[in-house]
Amino acid sequence: MKQNRIGWLFLSPYLIHFAVFLAFPIVFSLVLLFHQWDVVSPLKFVGLQNFTKVFQDKLFFKALFNTFYFLIIHIPLQIIVALLLAVILNRKIKFRGFFRAVYFLPVVVSGVVITMLWNQLYNLNSGLLNQLIQSIGLPRVAWLTSPKLAMPSIAIMATWKNVGLYVVLFLVGLQSVPKSMYEAADIEGASEWQKFRKITLPMINSTFFMVVILSTISGFSLFIEPYIMTGGGPMNSTLSAVLYIYKQAFNFYHMGYAATLGFVFAIILFTVVLIQRKVLERDVGY
Amino acid sequence: MFKNKYSGFLFLLLCSFNCSNHSHNDAGQIQITYWCANNQYEINLAKAIVSEWNQLHPDIPVRYQPVPEGESSEEMILAAVVGKTTPDIYSNMWAGDVEFYVRANKLLQLDQFSDFDSVAAERFSDDVIEQMRSPDGGVYQLLWKTNPILMIYNKTIFEEAGYSSFPSSYSEFLQAADKISIDRDGNGHNDRWIGVTDIRARWRDRLFDFYPFYISASGGKTFLKKGRLAVDKKAAIKVFSFFQSCFKNDYFPYLVPSGSHDVFLYGDVASRITGPWEITHAEKLKPEGFRYDFSSLPVPDNQNGPSYTYADPKSIVIFSTTKFPKESWKFAQFLIRKQSDFYLLDLTSQLPYRRGILSDTLFKSYFKKNPLMIRFAEQANYTRATDSTPVLKELFDAISQEFEACVLYQAKTPEKAVEDMINRMKLVLQ
Repeated sequence: MKQNRIGWLFLSPYLIHFAVFLAFPIVFSLVLLFHQWDVVSPLKFVGLQNFTKVFQDKLFFKALFNTFYFLIIHIPLQIIVALLLAVILNRKIKFRGFFRAVYFLPVVVSGVVITMLWNQLYNLNSGLLNQLIQSIGLPRVAWLTSPKLAMPSIAIMATWKNVGLYVVLFLVGLQSVPKSMYEAADIEGASEWQKFRKITLPMINSTFFMVVILSTISGFSLFIEPYIMTGGGPMNSTLSAVLYIYKQAFNFYHMGYAATLGFVFAIILFTVVLIQRKVLERDVGY
Repeated sequence: MFKNKYSGFLFLLLCSFNCSNHSHNDAGQIQITYWCANNQYEINLAKAIVSEWNQLHPDIPVRYQPVPEGESSEEMILAAVVGKTTPDIYSNMWAGDVEFYVRANKLLQLDQFSDFDSVAAERFSDDVIEQMRSPDGGVYQLLWKTNPILMIYNKTIFEEAGYSSFPSSYSEFLQAADKISIDRDGNGHNDRWIGVTDIRARWRDRLFDFYPFYISASGGKTFLKKGRLAVDKKAAIKVFSFFQSCFKNDYFPYLVPSGSHDVFLYGDVASRITGPWEITHAEKLKPEGFRYDFSSLPVPDNQNGPSYTYADPKSIVIFSTTKFPKESWKFAQFLIRKQSDFYLLDLTSQLPYRRGILSDTLFKSYFKKNPLMIRFAEQANYTRATDSTPVLKELFDAISQEFEACVLYQAKTPEKAVEDMINRMKLVLQ
């Protein structure tokens, strides 16, 4: 009996944390799905009204489209750049340790700081990028103020910020490929490209799978960058699903509706990741 | 052993829950908790007023406390309301938020007090008392201070362009814009503009561009009349057209303001839409020889009569959680008496919402020392607050969406943008 109590005591920090920060919010958000709540007034039961509103909300679908558009640019770009850097850093180059640290640096710097830095870089009139572009005689680019370019610009920035993490993951994958395979390929007279295509890529496909899943999940949670850089504009072109949910919840205090949007969005995210798993797992050799 | 440890832990936990903002002191007597804004000027003001009150009313001690630090004081008040840790009285509530709390029964109705009418009549005009009234007919706020929105302009740039004063109409403004907005480095793009506004489509940014111009163009109208939508379409179209011309012709930059580079003080823009807080800011950071002045907002051509603007008011409210409503009301009266209004002006350079302030002898010395504030005090007679509605932010979001589409990206005509804006506002109000 006493041992039980000691056990519960040791468990209690986690249990309290779990109850307060996980179980309660999840249960409460499920309750909110069927209620209208503006934080200060009592909950008002509205049945399925929040759900019908979601399916009539054009702006939510626009935000979903934007999120997928971001993912379509961000994930391939992230994988290509991370893999390229990992392959280079896996070779015996000078200052390898230094470069590995440098590429990882943006990952540990606050997203807000990086976003503000890139805000300056992208500035239409005085940004460094436009100064460089204009110095070679090209017209300046409306990185964040053009509805067509704003989301790709954010995707480039997000890639720059996160690539270090995926470089590390790919490096781990690359270092686990047995050297004997490359030696055998050398004996057979394989070119560098053939070795990369036929040995490296198949051997790191489990890492590849993990990178795709992780960058999909992080891409779906796109928030800080548009929140600080564009506020979701221009013309809602960078309004991500999470930013839209945030606006509904904390700008307009439509907590019930925001919870419903979050619920629908979570189902979409879950479905996408499930499909990715089904597609990619077929080729993964663990 | 364990029992003792548990009971000790429980005791500490209960003690910590017992520490709240309210409101009896140790002897069980009355104590009022008053939250002020958390900038140093207003903390000094609260200190001065509260110390005077406590000397005069030792039976009703007041404890002042700056509103806790957060992203905004609005958020902190919301957190306090949700957490039931509200003070008795708060003096910096954005008037646009009042109705949100009124709907949730979080504010005390002030006109329930028998002396409300006489107290209000001493400080406010009838027009302002009506502005304070909620749709349910009650008054839950005392408009405390106002920051009338005007144009600040760089006198040197305007004089060099041949203007001895700021343009008063849209066409004059656009003519001046054509001269002032120039490409200084010859790269084919303007790098000096006549004006600037935040291009982000956030609802609150429209309080400082579209809304004051709309109030001005409509001769002092807001969006609602007796709770019903009553947008002055013609005025709204004129304002959208005006701003559209500014962006279309590169008279305003596509710029997200940066904290590190003040485009006005650096001379990159010749004017901006702003309030009296700009005086302190400019005096602190202006380069040597920088000359500036304030002017009313330009109005549509051929418009006569006074130029109205947005008041950007802050209100005093008493939370319904107070255990001492009468005493809190008494302290609220103390906060808006003439001497406290003088402290407000003198210590914070913010205008009290008091009529006849320019002709009152008490305030004369201040205005003599601070002549730029006279423009704001004059304008204060011609201001409007926001409408009393709990969906104010949604209404401004509708404006913001259309402002962006029509003004910034010229994807809609002003007529279409106003039509869409009104339709969306109708939906929001439903």
